[in-house]
Amino acid sequence: MGRKAKDVLVKGIIYLATGITLSVLLFIVGFIFVKGIGLVNWDFLTRDYNEKVVYAFVESNDVPLNIDEETLNGKNPYDKRYETAIEGPIYVENIGAAIAKVAYKNHSTEREQFVITYIEKDSPLKSAIDSTGKSITIGCDYILQSINGNDFAGLTLEEVATTIADESGELKIKIVQPGGGIKSNIITTLYMVLLSLIVALPLGIFGAIYLTEYAKPGRLVNAIRFAAECLAGIPSIIFGLFGMAFFVVALNFQISLISGSLTVAIILLPVIIRSTEEALKTVPMAFREGSLALGATKLQTIFKVVLPCAVPGIATAVLLSIGRVVGESAALLLTAGTVAQIPGTLFSPGSTLTVQAYYVAKEEGNIELACAIGIVIIVIVIVLNILSRITSDKLDVFNKK
Amino acid sequence: MQAIKRKKQKETIIEGFFLICAFVAVISVLAITVFVFYNGLKPFVSNSYPLWDFLTGVEWRPGSNMYGIFYMIVGSIFATFGAILIGVPVAILTAVYISEMAGSRVGKMIRFAVELLAGIPSVLYGVFGLGIIVPYVLKISPMAQGESLLATIMVLAIMILPTVVSISETSISAVPKEYREGSYALGASKIQTIFKVVLPAGRSGIMTGVILGIGRAIGETMAVMLVCGNPIAGIPTSLFDQIRPLTTNIALEMGYASGVHQELLYSTGVVLFIFIMIINLAVNKLVKAKVGS
Repeated sequence: MGRKAKDVLVKGIIYLATGITLSVLLFIVGFIFVKGIGLVNWDFLTRDYNEKVVYAFVESNDVPLNIDEETLNGKNPYDKRYETAIEGPIYVENIGAAIAKVAYKNHSTEREQFVITYIEKDSPLKSAIDSTGKSITIGCDYILQSINGNDFAGLTLEEVATTIADESGELKIKIVQPGGGIKSNIITTLYMVLLSLIVALPLGIFGAIYLTEYAKPGRLVNAIRFAAECLAGIPSIIFGLFGMAFFVVALNFQISLISGSLTVAIILLPVIIRSTEEALKTVPMAFREGSLALGATKLQTIFKVVLPCAVPGIATAVLLSIGRVVGESAALLLTAGTVAQIPGTLFSPGSTLTVQAYYVAKEEGNIELACAIGIVIIVIVIVLNILSRITSDKLDVFNKK
Repeated sequence: MQAIKRKKQKETIIEGFFLICAFVAVISVLAITVFVFYNGLKPFVSNSYPLWDFLTGVEWRPGSNMYGIFYMIVGSIFATFGAILIGVPVAILTAVYISEMAGSRVGKMIRFAVELLAGIPSVLYGVFGLGIIVPYVLKISPMAQGESLLATIMVLAIMILPTVVSISETSISAVPKEYREGSYALGASKIQTIFKVVLPAGRSGIMTGVILGIGRAIGETMAVMLVCGNPIAGIPTSLFDQIRPLTTNIALEMGYASGVHQELLYSTGVVLFIFIMIINLAVNKLVKAKVGS
């Protein structure tokens, strides 16, 4: 084969390899979006994962229907992917809402339920309270199960409508708030990000200051650098094991928000140390010399001159760290658990978005839901990526001048 | 005088505080090592389970007190090796394209894409593997399930791409321009220059990337857990066999294990830790060698 032919062939292989890399990326992102986008909506983001049964107390009050029959029938607030309409809707005046009978598919089980499809503007349901007197929201596609002790199971839609219409005064309605949302996971992720940053950020920044501003080359610095490198190379499952042995068991923090965030804080250390160090190094020596020449102490120089210049670098560190926490799963699986709930205290468990994505994919085999969570994660990752690009560009100003 | 002295004292105290902060990294590494090794070596020291059976056994049945991880070690190594075999050539050639052949705009775009690929959490690779790769493997597999060594290799090969691409690309870009010019002046073509001059010159950096890729592949847990099958016994003999890497063994059972069972999960972690330490030392040596030259 001639040299030219060979070159063309090799070039072709290089193009092919690059093409593979790019198409893999597009394929993965595309797959996740296509599979999951159908589930992403406002309810998905704002609802709890588990459905919740509550008793709502409502003062009945006749509210006439303000829209015409056709619009009411066209209202389809319940989720078509999960539910298929069987009967209805029928408007019931004393609760100011329309109900329909639907076959409600909850993951694997299928059951027939009575679902609210429309709520009038002045409906008494709007001012519903729970047993403690706290107001609760009742929305469309919430499930009604009983009223004043009369269970709806096995009734036809019309019978249910009459049962409700026959009641008056204060109504005690058993309602199921639908689940399937990721609100608790979003909030847990936020908590995790905040807590781990509160711990890791000062340690990392001050550590980096020591390494760049104070330390003289020698054993100590080498040891610290080596340790940071080791930390960066340890897989997260080992951090999980450590977190389990130390925070969960030895310190008796249990599987909880605090165990998870402290474990993740250790994972973040090398990230923060490295980016802060790099940022501090870009601050020109002349700045420090100028400050010292004006009579400032070393500490003053660091806090008033060097650190302000390194802010974009530290911002990059923060963004990278957020990305790490959002993406972390193996360590959190062992230290923070898989319970989809908003952690009430530092010592209660909670699952972040990624852990939840794993959980629904593995334990429930629900790829669509995992992809829907994936979309939220990818959007966060892309936003962080773009932001960190902007902040690291800002840091380059010293070098450009 | 007093004020200056006090100021100096304050500075020293704060310097000490900074040192402690920096030292947390060292403490963490020590603590992790001590805790994992302490828990992991306990069953062998206290003779509650023989080390030899642990390391050479090919069955993991906590119910009948059988804890062998040899088949997991083999699974981990096969999966990592396969992923390197597929992922590394693709990654290095992509790096070559970005740094040697692409225009600055296209290069920037691909770099952004690679960074994004690096930012996608491993769970999502697993979900992708479970949704696309596993069903595909099932179609061509003689077995009854798609979760397999092959699926694991595919997922890991994709996951190491960004690591290897970005580190190789950095080291290829760092090769001095004069090398290329010298090669062209001798009449070599661009492709010859890339493969005979640039890549050999960037060798140590590329090797670092590859070793970090190995580290990522062997330490990967969540993505692998979704696609590997996690059998309780058996050394994989074909690409379609299920495997149970060391990492997933830990993650799967740590939640409910107790007693010797739990300690032996820590022991699994110790074995994994030793693998990772060897890899870390290799990277360290390579980086030092590069600085030396």
